[in-house]
Amino acid sequence: MFRIPDYVVSQRTRRAVLSRIARWMAGLGFAMLGLVAGLWSAASARFMVPNVATEPTRRFKAGTPGRYPPGHVEQRYKEEHGVWIVHEKYRGRWQLFALSTACTHLGCITLWQESDRRFKCPCHGSGFYPNGVNFEGPAPRPLPRYAIRLADDGHIEVDRSRTFHQERGQWDDPASYIPG
Amino acid sequence: MTPDIAEHLTRVAPLLAAFHAACSAMNVAAGGYAWRGRRRGEALAWLGAAIVFLGLAVGAWAGRPPQLPAMAKAGIDAVLGPATLFLGSLALLTVLYLGRRFFTAPPVGLAALNASLLLFGLSLADPVFASLVAKPDHVPIVGMIYLLGFVTWIAAYQAVENDRRTAAGRGPVEKTYAEKVLVWPDLVYIELIAMVLVSALLIAWSLLLAAPLEQPAHPSVTPNPSKAPWYFLGLQELLLYADAWYVGFVVPCLILFGLIALPYLDVNPKGNGYYTIDAQRRKYLVFMFGFLMLWVLPILVGTFLRGPNWSFFGLYEPRDPQKMAMHVNVTLSEYFWEWGLGRPRPEVDPHAGAWLRMGQAMWREMPGLAVLAAYFVALPLLLRRTLFKTARLAMGRCRYWIAMGLLLLMLTLPLKMLLRWTLHLSYIVSMPEFLLNF
Amino acid sequence: MPLWDRIRRSQVWKSIFRHPPPVDRPNRVKVVLTNLILHLHPVAMPKHGLRLRFTWCMGGITFFLFLVEVVTGVLLMFYYRPTIQWAYHDMLALRDVVSYGILREVHRWGAHAMVITAMLHMLRVFLTGSYKPPREFNWVIGVLLLALTLLLSFTGYLLPWDQLSMWAVTVGSNMVGAAPLVGHEGPASWVTDQSDLRYVLLGARSVGEEALLRFYVLHCVALPLLAAFLMALHFWRIRKDGGISGPL
Repeated sequence: MFRIPDYVVSQRTRRAVLSRIARWMAGLGFAMLGLVAGLWSAASARFMVPNVATEPTRRFKAGTPGRYPPGHVEQRYKEEHGVWIVHEKYRGRWQLFALSTACTHLGCITLWQESDRRFKCPCHGSGFYPNGVNFEGPAPRPLPRYAIRLADDGHIEVDRSRTFHQERGQWDDPASYIPG
Repeated sequence: MTPDIAEHLTRVAPLLAAFHAACSAMNVAAGGYAWRGRRRGEALAWLGAAIVFLGLAVGAWAGRPPQLPAMAKAGIDAVLGPATLFLGSLALLTVLYLGRRFFTAPPVGLAALNASLLLFGLSLADPVFASLVAKPDHVPIVGMIYLLGFVTWIAAYQAVENDRRTAAGRGPVEKTYAEKVLVWPDLVYIELIAMVLVSALLIAWSLLLAAPLEQPAHPSVTPNPSKAPWYFLGLQELLLYADAWYVGFVVPCLILFGLIALPYLDVNPKGNGYYTIDAQRRKYLVFMFGFLMLWVLPILVGTFLRGPNWSFFGLYEPRDPQKMAMHVNVTLSEYFWEWGLGRPRPEVDPHAGAWLRMGQAMWREMPGLAVLAAYFVALPLLLRRTLFKTARLAMGRCRYWIAMGLLLLMLTLPLKMLLRWTLHLSYIVSMPEFLLNF
Repeated sequence: MPLWDRIRRSQVWKSIFRHPPPVDRPNRVKVVLTNLILHLHPVAMPKHGLRLRFTWCMGGITFFLFLVEVVTGVLLMFYYRPTIQWAYHDMLALRDVVSYGILREVHRWGAHAMVITAMLHMLRVFLTGSYKPPREFNWVIGVLLLALTLLLSFTGYLLPWDQLSMWAVTVGSNMVGAAPLVGHEGPASWVTDQSDLRYVLLGARSVGEEALLRFYVLHCVALPLLAAFLMALHFWRIRKDGGISGPL
């Protein structure tokens, strides 16, 4: 003969139903607690990301192009702006462009060595050609260029808020150089 | 002798006299101890060493500190290099491991200590070496070398003794000290004495050596060389062989994860609570290789042997800021396409869509990707049936794959070093378009 | 009655220690049980745990060095201002102007020593297999404490605000910037240099005043609190996992 199993019977008792509701309520409560804790953590993490950074102006004027004869590496903007202004051949054409002074390996500031005509990183010895392309040491990428243009007054203007990466093919962008 | 060397010698002479005298006193004590233990021959040997050190101390006191001959210094510097140092240390540690029953004998240990102290004392007369080890931030690392050597030795000593007892069917030495004692006074007094000694050491150290303070921070002038704190110098040294995302971030995370996972991966119930090597040979070797060869040794190289431009310098070699090693490195895909197939590498069209570029880059880097697949997938599958057959059965699938993954990832570092030294290989997979170099 | 005995029988002494001096067995048991600090210990322990060749005393020394760092660190905080304008100047003052100006030395050398002793403690625990059951989780806490020790030392490294500290931290934070996924220069990056992990760590794109303040807060408040909590857990677990490890 067919018998109803015990556990089905017990589920139908009043106490079982109540305890089931209680378990659901507890589950819901813990879920809410988890949600609040998660939101709180996310909000705290977001709190740690500042919305405003106090940084120096990212745009500066660098004189007229006549100041930079071919093959010249200008060092005077290194100190204040972290920029080399270079007049050098890239893919067979003379260009005037602004390179970041920070090594692409770990951000140490490179040194210009006139005798060997290369940028050298003091941290791990990475070397870059004057056109910014890496050729020795652990640096994985060329130095990035900053946006450069001839302003209406005939002066060069460098804008550090835009970067151009050779490995992404961005050095073909006319905003990354002034034809020399 | 140039004037600055003469000046250096007069300055270090009293220090060296004290150093050699202390070494001499240590040997007298060791000799006396051996004599009382009726080991007459050994006692005479330590007495001889004491006399040698005494002679050196007298020489230093008289203002003529004995030093290594220039030939020896030049020879040591000529041999030293990243590759020789790594392989030499590996060979040395292998010999020490295989011959541990011999090397853990106390007279052998003391003889090795004497030899290192002799070399250290003679080297201190060299101005370059002295400036290296006496730099305030380097002093704790010199201390660490000796401390680490000593504790590794005394651990191996106890392990060898325990293994010998286990082989003879007796329990480890620790078992004979199983009786319970009260914490007060026995342990509390040991702690008190340790606290007093550490405090005294710390105060003396602080009085003798000023904490370094260089020029104020300057965001556009990077000092040459620019070094991380010493405990991260090992990672900085390894950065020469792999990219920052890997060595600077993934490897530390893996070390942390691997250490945390260790007790859960280890299914061997033996060797719990006493020193032993035989009961856990494989694990001992992997751990000590990782700790000594991939953590401590790169720290030592980065601290003492890297100079301006991160060039490698010998122990006695003046730090010349002009010295620069030219190392042009080649990626595996360049080897494969240009050198192997004799044709230019396939190009990645920078203006194509992201997926197409990814596909093109992967086609170009196909040889490297194949190597990695073989290394991370085929090799563990093969080892599972051969070398690690029993281990795989004991560990179960999950433990086996995690342990193999960690082991293989750890071994990428020495393998990349070897490939660099032999083939000038920079990257196995190089996709700068996607900031991914491995 | 000698003065020493009179002190020990005074009401004040008794109110503090609540039992006779630990010269006999019952009172040697009591002294450990009734004293908050000594209560970190068990009452009795196996004799092999006393042998220096077994423990190297490295765990205890690491804890002691942490206490030294806390005390000297708090004292240094009385003179140090974490701003670009003053940080370096205050370092000079701590060396040249204040009395007993070796606190910075004690703090720095103590930190170096603590890194070394923590590493050696871990080596000892590994070599004696003490991480094996039932002590697996305490090993995990120990690994976290070692990582915290390194982080504490690293965050403190920036505070003198000299060339050494600035460039060490620049290199270190750029490694974070190269992390996969969460670093703007890492593989599979989906963040910019104004939203990546390095930016969160430094509070800016490069090491500057924001980074100095963040490292200061981490070094003096956040990390020590976390370390103290984990240490309490670590010591408590030693007791709960059966005391110092030994052969079964």
